[in-house]
Amino acid sequence: MKTRIVITAVAGLAVAASAFAQDIVIRDATILTVSHGKIEHGSILVHAGKIAAVGTNAQVTAPANATVIDAAGKFVMPGIIDTHSHTAVEGSVNEISLPNTGMVRIRDVLTNEDIDVYRQLAGGTTTALVLHGSANPIGGQSQIVKWKWGHPVSEWPISDAPRTIKFALGENPKSSNFRPPPGTPAQYPQTRMGVEEVIRQSFIDAKDYIARWDDYDAKKKRGETAIPPRHDILMETMVDILKGKIDVHSHCYRADEIMMLLNVADEEGFKIRELQHVLEGYKVAKEIAAHGVGGGTFIDWWGFKAEAYDAIPYNVALMNNAGVLTSVNSDSAELARHLNQDAAKAMKYGGLSEEDALKLCTLNGAKQLRLDHRIGSIDVGKDADIVIWTAHPFSTYARVETTLVDGEILFDRSKDLAMRKQLAQEKKDRLKKEADDEAKNKKSKPGPKDDDKAEATNE
Amino acid sequence: MSRRFLCFSVVLLLLMAAWPALADAPGVYAITGGTVHPVSGPEIANGVVIIRDGLIESVGANTAIPADATVIDVKGSHVYPGLIDAQTSLGFPSATAPRRRGPAAAGARNAPEALPETGPSFLAFREAKLSDDDIDAKRATGVTTIVTAPSFGIFNGQSVAVNLRDGTMESRVIRNPVSQQISFNPRPAWTYPDSLMGVISYIRQTLMDAQQYSAARTIYDKNPAGYKRPDESPSLEALGGVLRRDVPVVFVADSELMIRRAEAIAKEFNVRMIVGGARQGYKMGDELKSLGAPVLVSTKWATAPAAKEDREEQPLRVIRDRQLQPTTPAVLAKSGVLFALVSGAGKTSDFFPGIRKAIENGLSADDALRATTINPAKIIGIDRQLGSLDRGKIANIVITDKPIFDKESKIKRIFVDGREAKVPTEDEKKKSASTSTGTGVDGTWSFVVKATSGDVNITATLHVENGQIGGTYSGDRGAGEIGNGTFDGTTLQFSIAGRGQEEAGDWVFHGTLHGANMDGTVSTTLGTFPFTGSRK
Repeated sequence: MKTRIVITAVAGLAVAASAFAQDIVIRDATILTVSHGKIEHGSILVHAGKIAAVGTNAQVTAPANATVIDAAGKFVMPGIIDTHSHTAVEGSVNEISLPNTGMVRIRDVLTNEDIDVYRQLAGGTTTALVLHGSANPIGGQSQIVKWKWGHPVSEWPISDAPRTIKFALGENPKSSNFRPPPGTPAQYPQTRMGVEEVIRQSFIDAKDYIARWDDYDAKKKRGETAIPPRHDILMETMVDILKGKIDVHSHCYRADEIMMLLNVADEEGFKIRELQHVLEGYKVAKEIAAHGVGGGTFIDWWGFKAEAYDAIPYNVALMNNAGVLTSVNSDSAELARHLNQDAAKAMKYGGLSEEDALKLCTLNGAKQLRLDHRIGSIDVGKDADIVIWTAHPFSTYARVETTLVDGEILFDRSKDLAMRKQLAQEKKDRLKKEADDEAKNKKSKPGPKDDDKAEATNE
Repeated sequence: MSRRFLCFSVVLLLLMAAWPALADAPGVYAITGGTVHPVSGPEIANGVVIIRDGLIESVGANTAIPADATVIDVKGSHVYPGLIDAQTSLGFPSATAPRRRGPAAAGARNAPEALPETGPSFLAFREAKLSDDDIDAKRATGVTTIVTAPSFGIFNGQSVAVNLRDGTMESRVIRNPVSQQISFNPRPAWTYPDSLMGVISYIRQTLMDAQQYSAARTIYDKNPAGYKRPDESPSLEALGGVLRRDVPVVFVADSELMIRRAEAIAKEFNVRMIVGGARQGYKMGDELKSLGAPVLVSTKWATAPAAKEDREEQPLRVIRDRQLQPTTPAVLAKSGVLFALVSGAGKTSDFFPGIRKAIENGLSADDALRATTINPAKIIGIDRQLGSLDRGKIANIVITDKPIFDKESKIKRIFVDGREAKVPTEDEKKKSASTSTGTGVDGTWSFVVKATSGDVNITATLHVENGQIGGTYSGDRGAGEIGNGTFDGTTLQFSIAGRGQEEAGDWVFHGTLHGANMDGTVSTTLGTFPFTGSRK
């Protein structure tokens, strides 16, 4: 509990320093590039928020005024990417009221006051796909962000990231495990059939919507006066999915419903970018791979509901080996602090190579988010999202020393430790002042008798 | 003839009964001997204010007293323009989230006119139920003009500015409507929109619909032949004034993030924005200045939990925030933001303590006075009528024995529209305070839940603040704190924690208040049971 409070306090003080003020060079580390192997005694030069050079110590020269981080004996890897997060959302992550709530946007309700963001930086996570919940077949528009702690929340969304939306199949969207208050009719859909129908009908509606606007535009083109149709935010979202402007990330568990969604997508003419959770993905891995769809999953969570009974820890390796672009993700503010460990487990369960396992929490996620030109590996020209560990990140003893986002140090363990005392003191002082003021006010408050007397004299 | 005479006699008798204690007819008065604070200029020692027929005839040091004036000597006192509280929900139940589902709400998107409670066409002028007690209590704090609108719903509707005089609602109005008011209140779960992000989408879609409505109407009205007739919508019609920038929008937004969200909407639809609430304005003085939107700062500052242990549990961020909130007015004054101090979500009795707290936190008393007189008048567009003591303005005047924001200051006399209003004595104030805090739910209740396994008896002590029910319970299901409680004046909802042997999960009470009794249903994981409650 104490730690929690202290860390919260640190959060408050993190100040947005001018980001690109200083070049940084990380020296003498073991660099896990993810894209091109391991570099022993390697260096990375960070300039203007990007990786300017990477190689052995001798290969990398740095300007004299660069800040030097001596990382001898340390391990460096790219920032971890969590493709399933609900962190930093103000209010409910579910707009639960309708079967399709594609009109709502996570980006409208991001908050920079969620301490879990700072804690995830302390676990090496730098990028997240913040998703709407799974209470309805088509949920809200999600948002890809960097955890730019200390910066205004308007700076968190990655500017050239694709727009995304959450779909959901199975128990949650058919309200299996929760029910509305008495007097409220049951929410449609109540079956997996209904879930399919909602998704299909939404795209049929979207096509009608396109036709309505096409008709209007044609009239305008002919020089006719026409009454413009209504702009419908929900329908425009569906249209943008059809046009490939919004990537679909769908919550799913069972093989049959995964196939259902792939079929509906084929029939209605849209793409699924990533299947989320996809616990039975190993049963239909070939089909998923054939559709070019990614899979983001838990490594060893199973049996937490009926539709999760067939989950196995080998799912990651089986999907990966079948050619599915696979990642491990969190769906949890806690798990998001040690996704490196979940990636490591894929070496045990299914025997993935170290580099393939590392990709599960870095480069593969970047590809699923269509951001691998910017993030996911230590390569020249990519964003300087870099994590320095005390040991190999697949060791349970590894701890994050420093996390950089866009070349800026946003977590530094030594600074954090140093600041704790100061923040604890500030808290103590503030609480004391508050108590003192209250005591003073109580004393100086005139009693009711004095009041009456004053009134009488004045009359 | 005889009836007319009777009326006349009654009036005469009333006048005689009141005279000379109260100058309650709009006659001619000379208020002399006091220190006059005109707000529009420097204070005038031993000044004279002449009132004639409800308006200020003159203000000055050496003003000749008209022969027909009744002289009111207030030697040693201070004379101010009546205060303006530019954001209240006086005359409306204080609920943040109504419990009822609208008939068309289930499954219907963006149908504001179907919402039973509020909407863009909702007129506070028509719906406010201003009781004499409300008016007396508010006037007793030196406030003579208020703006009111309900705090529940999303589009709270059109607010109205009224003088707190006795008489009809029509006779009180200074400006109607003042603004459209929008609050980011999610609706109950399973009614769109039930999340904050849903509320934002709902507001955006509604404003888009208003744009389309106005475009469609323009085309259709010009030449209806050959076009499908657009549906009539009072709500979207009402938003026309907002889109044309005739009517400003008060966005109720307290935190820095909520203010930014409101700002994004205001920019997207190019509406005239007024920020209401803004208790985290201390974080963004310069930003608010460059935004150019006036700010109504709610003086209901966050308070610390009563228990020491609870305070220590809180993160520093929260403690820091509540200590810095009252610096907001000083920060805004320094940044040159046009702002007013308002009671907002606070109670009438919290207004002055809240202003004093802002003064303790760096706001000058002069700025505080401007923020309760001329600034709100400017913000809501009534500064030609009110907000300072100047010739031709409405004679709303407050006279105090000490400078108005001094802790020991007492209000001696109040004039509204040139008539003297009664100032309640301290005894009356206390009495009205004790009755007005009661919401009908406050107190100890005995509940009997008719569960399948038999009667379950629960005793609960409930209290309501701003539509939220809090309190404790004990009985057959153990003891604990009341959770998720809301109250809209008639219906209420709250939950108690699940502690049963064979079941887990909260018991959620949905009840209706009937005086000292309550009834409704309790939903549990075992099923839904009826309950009754009676006040102890």
